[in-house]
Amino acid sequence: MLKKYRPFLRAGAIDTMAYRFNILVWAVITVCQVACLVFLWLAVYRSSAGGMDAEIHGFTYREMIAYVVLTTIFNFVTFNNDTLWNINTDIKKGTVGNYLIKPISYRGKFAATSLGSLLTMTLMFGLPLYTAALVTLGSLGFLPDLSFPAFFAHLGLFLLAGLCASLLNDVIAYIFGVLCFYTSSGWGLNSLKETLVAFLSGTLLPLAFFPAGLREVVRWMPFAGMSQNPVLILMMKYDLAESLRCLAVSAAWIVLLELFAKFLFSRAVRKVTVQGG
Amino acid sequence: MIEVNDLTKIFRKPIRGNGLSGMVKTLFSRKYDEVRAVDGISFTVPDGEIVGYIGANGAGKSTTIKMMCGILTPTSGSVRIDGVEPYRKRQQVAQHIGVVFGQKTQLWWDIPLVESFKVLKEIYQISDADYAERMDFLGEVLDITRFLTQPVRTLSLGERMRADLAASMLHNPRILFLDEPTIGLDVLVKERIRSAIHALNKTYGTTVVLTTHDMNDIENLCSRIILLEKGRILYDGPLSSLKNRFGNIKTLTLTVPAEIKAAAAPVLSPEVAVSEEDGKMVLRFDADRVALEQVVQYAFRDLKAMDMKIAEISIGDVVKTILEQEEAEHAEKV
Repeated sequence: MLKKYRPFLRAGAIDTMAYRFNILVWAVITVCQVACLVFLWLAVYRSSAGGMDAEIHGFTYREMIAYVVLTTIFNFVTFNNDTLWNINTDIKKGTVGNYLIKPISYRGKFAATSLGSLLTMTLMFGLPLYTAALVTLGSLGFLPDLSFPAFFAHLGLFLLAGLCASLLNDVIAYIFGVLCFYTSSGWGLNSLKETLVAFLSGTLLPLAFFPAGLREVVRWMPFAGMSQNPVLILMMKYDLAESLRCLAVSAAWIVLLELFAKFLFSRAVRKVTVQGG
Repeated sequence: MIEVNDLTKIFRKPIRGNGLSGMVKTLFSRKYDEVRAVDGISFTVPDGEIVGYIGANGAGKSTTIKMMCGILTPTSGSVRIDGVEPYRKRQQVAQHIGVVFGQKTQLWWDIPLVESFKVLKEIYQISDADYAERMDFLGEVLDITRFLTQPVRTLSLGERMRADLAASMLHNPRILFLDEPTIGLDVLVKERIRSAIHALNKTYGTTVVLTTHDMNDIENLCSRIILLEKGRILYDGPLSSLKNRFGNIKTLTLTVPAEIKAAAAPVLSPEVAVSEEDGKMVLRFDADRVALEQVVQYAFRDLKAMDMKIAEISIGDVVKTILEQEEAEHAEKV
């Protein structure tokens, strides 16, 4: 059954390869952003009560810098996703009909495409970037001792968490994409999704900085699993038990959101009015 | 088998105001216009039949096709393809139908045609043997082998349409829906496409439902036609009886000497209408009531005809007449 999605997996991988120049340009911009964030955090720690030795919400300045760098790489590699825009285009141009008359699920097509994209991104950018970052941060003493075998257990869990994050991101993008059936415009929905995810996933600020009540809620929401948790697993800030809890929460959310996406699509598709003809 | 039962599709369109103030108003209160694109139609298409689905622009043809292949969900009524409703079990039905929308391509624009076919092979899970056999058949009947390696965007309209047709037939669908498959094509390509549809129907017993504005398509392909107007069926039956709906009308166009005038011509029978068009004499009559032989004799003997052309009424004329009558009746009611 899954074999028929292979061409989309391939297309996702090949397309991402084809856009490697764009991605490279984006990488340069991202490096500048990371530099800004690093200096910002250094300033925060320097002016804090405890000075450079302070621990703010459980983060030393070394850990915070490692966190910023790794989160940026993680988002860069994992969230290379055009699902929302592609659905928006399909609706606007009426090409959604082309997929509705084929024996494949619309959702499956996008999931396969973004997995293909994730594969290319991980091999082409992830592998060198993570290696460089881990070696550099490790030798500067910004990371705990990366020794066997504990680190390898965390690395394995991190890869799993990365896969979950990518699937979560894709299903959320898909849900917002399907909402375009109602709004006929993807721009606002895309901004909403981006802001929501950036804020609640810990990309802007580690969730430890949130007020206690909100923190507890966010801990059980899907967003933390999309950025903060995988990185903290890699940094070994989480022990094995907490890492496994994060993975379980992510997996449960994937199932829930996929079910919701299926339900939403089955309703939205009745709204389809294919333009022209 | 296709069963369509009391099928209705109503589109709601928001009424937008004019200008800036109108735009602001529509933000707060939306009024909707209801358009009954398809209005309670029913018909059944048995296996292996080729049905022509005709009607003016906006009559609801494409909307019906889209409901039959599962893109649109009916407002009420039902469509069953071999007993299954396509908009409920979309993937299940999709495996057994092929669809072409003449106005849009379903092929991947940037990749070579043969790669598009290979993607379809995987999506429909066609075995290697079946794929090879279909490619042979389609290569021959549609003559697509020559441009298989070209990207779709470099194909001419005629080539693209043949490619789209081939793509829709690749998985050997039991039913083929063709929405204006000959739109904008030259005579030779139209011929090619018609013969391909014929060959497919003969070889595999494929059921075909096609919409068209080209009456030659209808006369060459369809044993049955369904005529649609304003979402309702005006006529559903064999082509021959539609043709004879106004009798077995024949037209004789004569070249006659200048001194013979239509108004002053000797009358054969009130059943034969005599008129003059472009300097030629035109006799119009029902061949079931007045013998053709009699009229021909009359033309040579009484009208001194020097040349003669006999024509049957075309299906296009019949459809035009029906639609005009319908329009006139509608105008009277209003």
